[in-house]
Amino acid sequence: MSDPRAQTLFRLRCAFVKHGRLAYLGHLEVLHTIERIVRRAGLPFAVTQGFSPHMRAGFASALPVGTSSDAEYFDLFMTEFVPVPDALERLRAAAPIDLAPTAVCYIDVHAPALTAAITRVMYRIAIDVADGYDIASERIDAAIAQLKEQGSIPYERGRKHKVLDLASTLVSWKVSALSDGGLELTLDTHISNDGSLRPEILLSATDRLLLGCAEDEGPIVSTGIQNLRTIRRYAICRTAQYVEDADGSLLSPLRTDETPSAPKSVSSVPSL
Amino acid sequence: MNVAYEDRFADIEPLLPRVEKPSRYIDHEWGTLAKPEADYRACLIYPDVYEVGLPNQGIAILYAALNAQDGISCERGYVPWVDMADAMREAGVPLLSLEGAAPVASFDLVGLHLPHEMACTNCLEALDLAGIPLLSAERGEDDPLVVSGGPSVYNPEPLAPFIDAFLIGEGEEHIVEVCRAHQRLRDAGATRSQILRELTTIPGTYVPSLYDVVVDETSTEHGYAIPKPGGDASPMVYKRVAANFAHTDPVPQSVVPYAQLVHDRLSIEVLRGCARGCRFCQAGMTYRPVRERTPDQIVAAVARGLEKTGYDEVSLTSLSTTDHSCCPEILARLNRALSETGTRVSIPSQRLDSFGIEMAAQVAGEKKGGLTFAPEAGSQRLRDVINKNVTEDDLERATRAAFAAGWRRCKLYFMMGLPSETDEDIVAIAQLADRTYEIAREVVPPAQRGGVSVSISCSVFIPKAATPFQWCAQTPDDEVKRRQQLLLHSVKNRSVRVHYHDADTSLLEAVLSRGGRDIAPVVLGAWKRGARFDAWTEQFDLARWEDAARDAGIDLRAVAQTPYSLDARLPWEHISTGASRGFLQREYRRALAGETTPDCTRTSCTGCGICPTLHVENVLAGERS
Repeated sequence: MSDPRAQTLFRLRCAFVKHGRLAYLGHLEVLHTIERIVRRAGLPFAVTQGFSPHMRAGFASALPVGTSSDAEYFDLFMTEFVPVPDALERLRAAAPIDLAPTAVCYIDVHAPALTAAITRVMYRIAIDVADGYDIASERIDAAIAQLKEQGSIPYERGRKHKVLDLASTLVSWKVSALSDGGLELTLDTHISNDGSLRPEILLSATDRLLLGCAEDEGPIVSTGIQNLRTIRRYAICRTAQYVEDADGSLLSPLRTDETPSAPKSVSSVPSL
Repeated sequence: MNVAYEDRFADIEPLLPRVEKPSRYIDHEWGTLAKPEADYRACLIYPDVYEVGLPNQGIAILYAALNAQDGISCERGYVPWVDMADAMREAGVPLLSLEGAAPVASFDLVGLHLPHEMACTNCLEALDLAGIPLLSAERGEDDPLVVSGGPSVYNPEPLAPFIDAFLIGEGEEHIVEVCRAHQRLRDAGATRSQILRELTTIPGTYVPSLYDVVVDETSTEHGYAIPKPGGDASPMVYKRVAANFAHTDPVPQSVVPYAQLVHDRLSIEVLRGCARGCRFCQAGMTYRPVRERTPDQIVAAVARGLEKTGYDEVSLTSLSTTDHSCCPEILARLNRALSETGTRVSIPSQRLDSFGIEMAAQVAGEKKGGLTFAPEAGSQRLRDVINKNVTEDDLERATRAAFAAGWRRCKLYFMMGLPSETDEDIVAIAQLADRTYEIAREVVPPAQRGGVSVSISCSVFIPKAATPFQWCAQTPDDEVKRRQQLLLHSVKNRSVRVHYHDADTSLLEAVLSRGGRDIAPVVLGAWKRGARFDAWTEQFDLARWEDAARDAGIDLRAVAQTPYSLDARLPWEHISTGASRGFLQREYRRALAGETTPDCTRTSCTGCGICPTLHVENVLAGERS
């Protein structure tokens, strides 16, 4: 017997930004806001069945408070097909500028979740060196190389002792001097169930190396935004997130080049 | 203005990484309405943190009303949490509005909402952070006009020296009149004192600086206020009523926050006012008469509001939503319209009878959390005294129906220290809770009994201005503590949990509810000693208030615990809800005699005097059951 609740589902993937003041939103605040954007856009979202019905949607990994992004993603399960340009226009009209959707596409309903699919994350960190410190890009580069050599950075989050494993998460980095006198650090990182790279922990460890201070300072504490001494101010932006192909090449999670002309849909029973 | 209207966000941005919940301060929410280019600017401040203040419906109504006016812009402000307030003082950044991130002191008008008495120190905190002189008398020609309104202005005297003008009653029309008059006078070059005198000609506007406080043999030791000789302020300021409530926009709410709030949902005010006549209840007097919206208007408003905001929950708000004459019809229609959208409908309180349970069941769906009932008093005798027209049978039927319908958690609200209360009444609270637990055991299938929970929440009675109990004293705090222990020891069933309200906070609430203008120096002194966020248990410290009271020569306990004589002139009697003194005295006497008074929306007029005095009437959408 077919389940009367079985619905034809469409899975819309949407890329959006997190810019400006809205970088200060927490992960849950972003999730709630996306849900409200979808409702305001009037898209035919699917609803989970069961005890507490809610919108069927999926998100990429959490972005810390204070970190901006050029490339965030969510998946929305819908009960009806809406043409791509129409869906994008409706989402954009219902979203604040600083959380604007930038592109949408349809993907296979059975494709892996965003958190499983995305394995590479790129960051750009703008750095203003504090007054009284003369730190050129080479010194930061050397400090990060030394940390990478050590392989890991211990830190505390709440009461938990944690370790940032640079060996498995830091793929490459580049430091360059900007024309305005500031520095720019770009990071290519690997993300998996085993761990991800929190850029502020790397920055905090770099700060300590640059100061040449010893271990007696106590552990690095993950507080979201670090108070650093050699760095007056920093701004982290997630610039891209990628799915790795079998041959190691990086694909956009939208994979617009692979999107079939007609949307894929299957008849399925919504999960409980 | 002393300070320029300009965007100062760059001044607070460096502070954001160092404070908790930076999203409190960033603005840029969906649905803001302010118009930065407007000729006249108002900033409405809720005297608590963003996530407490944002859901406030009163501010949403005034915000929409002002921004609908040509040439008037209204922005919002909140009180920064203690970490941010300290960081702002250290960095020399003043309190900023949300929309424009502009200094609050640069606005033409600053409105302070008064949700309850304990917000008074936060009003001073907001003014001080804004750089506006705390005392009305010390404000200059270039300072904003500071007005105040909200549920807690029916005894404005403890805050009188700090506020230029109080707006008494419902504000949607009143605030527009005040802003328009201020704009006209400002443009005509009127002085501050001319403006204040002129504002008294707008009904419902109380300008405390135009009144003298007189203490004589006809009054209490806190005196009474009369217009200054030679002035033309009215000896009696009547509250404003939106007589055409049913024709006002039912969806004033527009701002959708990013932060997750306690009441994070669309609110539709389905009716205003409650005529049940509980004698302790201030809102029951101050929001009369009863005015209902029609089912068509409500159902359409819910659809429009959800579309506009994107919320997944709608609350049908009022003092007593299940009293709406068409409540079952409204709920049935909403359930049909919202099925398959994952949208929840909630009603804030239940009637204590089986009709109430039927209505609660209509909105609960599969998910039955807890149900809250408010018998308010444990014994029938005391419920008759307070005119809570609910019998033991009503309560038993309601709880039986609730447990049978699938609810497992039940919370019972009571008050302690009510007039004429004895130890038997306290023991009766415990018996009622034990009986409720027994009912649950009878009704709930054995396999599910583990989930059953019954709890008692017991607050302390605060005598409020403009109620039949306004003459009553508060029960002494040490006696309250003894009765709390008595209650704890009287509950036989160990599964019944007992929560009670802090006696220290209650003492202060009574002082601020019953005192006169003589209490203002205590408020100022407490704030100077660091009192702020007094409504937050962990921030409140009675010692600051006791020190301030000692300096001001005030005995807090005497203020709270001395009964007033029935013929004494009271500190707030120049502010009127429209209910006559005779009615309140009659209700007081009936209370002590244990005589109840019916609800005028279900029987005939009970003579409170509000309708004839304010030229209004109850407006119902159907017949009430």
